[in-house]
Amino acid sequence: MADNDTPLIDELEKGPWPSYIKEIKRAAKKNAAAKDLLGVQELSFQERITHWKHGGIVGVTGYGAGVIGRYVDAPDKFPAVEMFHTMRINQPAGWFYTTDALRKICDIWEKYGSGLTNFHGSTGDIILLGTNTKSLQPCFDELTEAGFDLGGSGSALRTISCCVGPARCEYSCIDTLDICANLTQEFQDEIHRPRWPYKFKIKISGCPNDGVAAIARADFTIIGTWHDTLRIDQDEVRKYVKNGFDIRGLVTEKCPTKALAWDDKELKLNLRTADCVRCMHCINKMPKALRPGVDRGATILIGGKAPIIKGAYLSWVLVPFMKMEPPYDEAKVLLRKIWEWWDENGRSRERIAELIERMGLKTFLRAVDIKPVPQMVFKPRANPYVFFD
Amino acid sequence: MTEGVTEELKDKILKYLGTVSKAKNRDVARALEIDKAIVDKGIAELAKEDKIEYIYLGTSYIQLKQK
Amino acid sequence: MGKSDIGPPSYKKMLPAVIEKNYGKWKYHEILKPGVLKHVSESGDEVWTVRAGSPRLVSIDFIRDICDIADKYCDGKLRFTSRSNVEFMTPKKENVEPIIQAVQKIGLPVGGTGKSISNIIHTQGWAHCHSAATDSSGIVKAIMDELYPYFTSMKLPAKLRVALACCINMCGAVHCSDIAIVGIHTKPPKIDNSKVGAVCEIPTTMASCPTGAIRKNPDPNVKGLVVNEEKCMYCGNCFTVCPAMPLADAEGDGVAIYVGGKVSNARSAPMFSRLAIPYLPNNPPRWPEAVSAIKNIVEVYAKNALPDERMGEWINRVGWENFFKLTGIEFTEYHIDDFTHGVDTYRTTTQFRW
Ligand code: HEM
Ligand code: HEM
Ligand code: SF4
Ligand code: SF4
Ligand code: SF4
Ligand code: SF4
Repeated sequence: MADNDTPLIDELEKGPWPSYIKEIKRAAKKNAAAKDLLGVQELSFQERITHWKHGGIVGVTGYGAGVIGRYVDAPDKFPAVEMFHTMRINQPAGWFYTTDALRKICDIWEKYGSGLTNFHGSTGDIILLGTNTKSLQPCFDELTEAGFDLGGSGSALRTISCCVGPARCEYSCIDTLDICANLTQEFQDEIHRPRWPYKFKIKISGCPNDGVAAIARADFTIIGTWHDTLRIDQDEVRKYVKNGFDIRGLVTEKCPTKALAWDDKELKLNLRTADCVRCMHCINKMPKALRPGVDRGATILIGGKAPIIKGAYLSWVLVPFMKMEPPYDEAKVLLRKIWEWWDENGRSRERIAELIERMGLKTFLRAVDIKPVPQMVFKPRANPYVFFD
Repeated sequence: MTEGVTEELKDKILKYLGTVSKAKNRDVARALEIDKAIVDKGIAELAKEDKIEYIYLGTSYIQLKQK
Repeated sequence: MGKSDIGPPSYKKMLPAVIEKNYGKWKYHEILKPGVLKHVSESGDEVWTVRAGSPRLVSIDFIRDICDIADKYCDGKLRFTSRSNVEFMTPKKENVEPIIQAVQKIGLPVGGTGKSISNIIHTQGWAHCHSAATDSSGIVKAIMDELYPYFTSMKLPAKLRVALACCINMCGAVHCSDIAIVGIHTKPPKIDNSKVGAVCEIPTTMASCPTGAIRKNPDPNVKGLVVNEEKCMYCGNCFTVCPAMPLADAEGDGVAIYVGGKVSNARSAPMFSRLAIPYLPNNPPRWPEAVSAIKNIVEVYAKNALPDERMGEWINRVGWENFFKLTGIEFTEYHIDDFTHGVDTYRTTTQFRW
């Protein structure tokens, strides 16, 4: 195809933000599928509809997950992308890499695929975009030789991901990377062989700032927190104030529970610990002076998901405080109980939150042996329709 | 071979899958009246032996490997 | 058969030496300027981080380019953020400026820290997905070209997170973003009854519809389905299980804009994004209607919000009535929720603003 055949997408080579069209063109120099992808993209821009479809059974031996079948709807026009399957490669926890590891993946993908990737998909995986059915197995075999494996897809445990945590964040109350890596290894079978009513996601954030949006998109949400009192270095607080920092306007008045007060006679920041709900705001504003407490663990929440099918949910508090020490048995036992109940009772395509809503939080708590506590709700019920069973 | 998984169990699973077009692991466990955790392991072995495969129809299922 | 179920490589093998040494011992951090962070450890060690934006859909040669930079300045290590930014870390302060120059030389912006607009989380769109109601990489590129100065600076009241999903599946948790752009279909599926029998399971397809809009075709001579168009809300669930009922429609498809969501617990609890603009057309390659609508919302927010106020916190303070007034966005019947828990959003007090 001549360069001037794609006037619409060429427009997106202009402008300051780095251009994905330039990237596809780079890959197109070496690869026919990437070249045809340009044509498909141009056609979609012209006609304003997608030209992808899926179907068929594609994958690697022994796995039911990690590969997504994808086909163009006009294979006569774009033969090189007649098949354009996606492979999801499980990332190392925290998305840290050696350049050696990255170059190996690039070399393998140059050999077997289109040369196009996402670093990363919103699931957390490295997404290798575009290959044909017969390349899947040899590509997978070389990837495992290089130490990598596929991630989850379909009605499986999806690839687990976490924030940068203790690797480079002073706020982290739990070892997010180790929890992520440990659970990933423990549940390889659940990731690779889908068996449940629908997908299940686990995400781990080191503190309530929730850098990986665990509360919005994980069925099982792990968020680091502390049980004692946040630590205040009064000397450092005074330094902030002396440098003109508006501690009242920017910190104490913004505390959601008014737990903080600045005493300008004693030059001291006072905290009513019992009222601190650990929102992180004051710590975010004064990282040199304030830190999370030392009795650390996680709040476990359940049920977050995107809108399909019954509407969106944010995760609900399930365990207000769980210690998170290796080998994380308490979390593993809980996960297995949740999966057992869900797999026994869930309808096809029913996420855990939808099942809990249908059968009642009470039934769920009984099934997983957790006692109700007020932290689970904003407020108790107002209606009198109680079932005493 | 994984603990608790016998050739007999795997044969039963294959035989059951021969009677249906597709199934979930739990359907197999219910039909065979065997603990699902063990059935899950048997199915994993059969997948690795390339005797069953996975399909996706809104949710995931297993079926006998299509020749 | 080769290996299986080995899982990903251990993160421990991937950490830069200074990170490994100070793992869990970080004391505080500073943002030195847009895109440059400094973390200080209890041990006294320091690490500088340069954050660069990426187009997310990249070639392997792009990955090799960033590896070259990491080999030269970062002992062969780098990381990515959850928003597809690339981070170069070094214990040597003198490496910071050369890294910035090397990054800019390959065309990448440095920024995305603090009170900025970071990279847009997005899905696959016309580049890869069969259910896309809009493109993703293309419209994201058009938006980021326009919002570019907000990536490379930190002059907003608070951080502003933008996400895009190309259909209401919203793979990507866009539903809790300061600004969420969602591809929408506005026409019911067109059923191809000649194919339904062959490629779809009729009971599964009927059960897939959350509003119960799908029935067996009443004509006994047709083995097929009909959609009650009044009940259909164009969610595409049926298409997901039955490829013979596509929704894609060049005229009907477009984008909706939702605002005011957040996931962080800082100050206020996490919130969903809520509908600001029900429909804007797909107008590739640059989606001018969507881009200018987003720019307007960002500018009105930047002008009116107090320091540290996220989009949703600002709207809660001034009220949705003022959000619509200040942005000049029309409030329509589509904004009123008539889905399952819709009545919970109807106002039950005489307190409101004019
Ligand atoms: C056949 C159906 C689906 C498949 C195969 C699928 C696949 C995917 C893929 C590929 C991603 C990563 C997207 C990217 O990297 O750009 C993803 C993420 C996501 N999907 Fe889906 N999706 C499907 C339907 C759904 C549905 C129905 C929901 C909502 C309940 C959903 C919720 C999500 C969410 C919340 C994410 C992002 C969160 C994360 O990072 O894990 N998806 N899904
Ligand atoms: C029969 C009709 C099917 C429909 C209409 C359907 C629907 C969907 C939906 C809603 C998504 C969105 C997720 C995404 O792309 O991120 C999706 C993508 C996907 N579909 Fe399906 N699904 C179907 C069957 C299949 C089959 C048979 C497979 C695998 C063999 C499959 C694998 C996937 C995967 C894994 C994705 C993610 C694509 C990506 O990474 O770009 N789906 N499909
Ligand atoms: S979620 Fe908390 S611990 Fe994790 S990176 Fe963000 S601020 Fe740090
Ligand atoms: S963490 Fe939040 S709730 Fe606790 S004192 Fe600080 S601002 Fe107040
Ligand atoms: S948001 Fe919808 S169209 Fe976009 S990639 Fe996800 S499922 Fe596909
Ligand atoms: S698009 Fe959604 S609402 Fe409409 S018929 Fe299909 S499943 Fe039902």
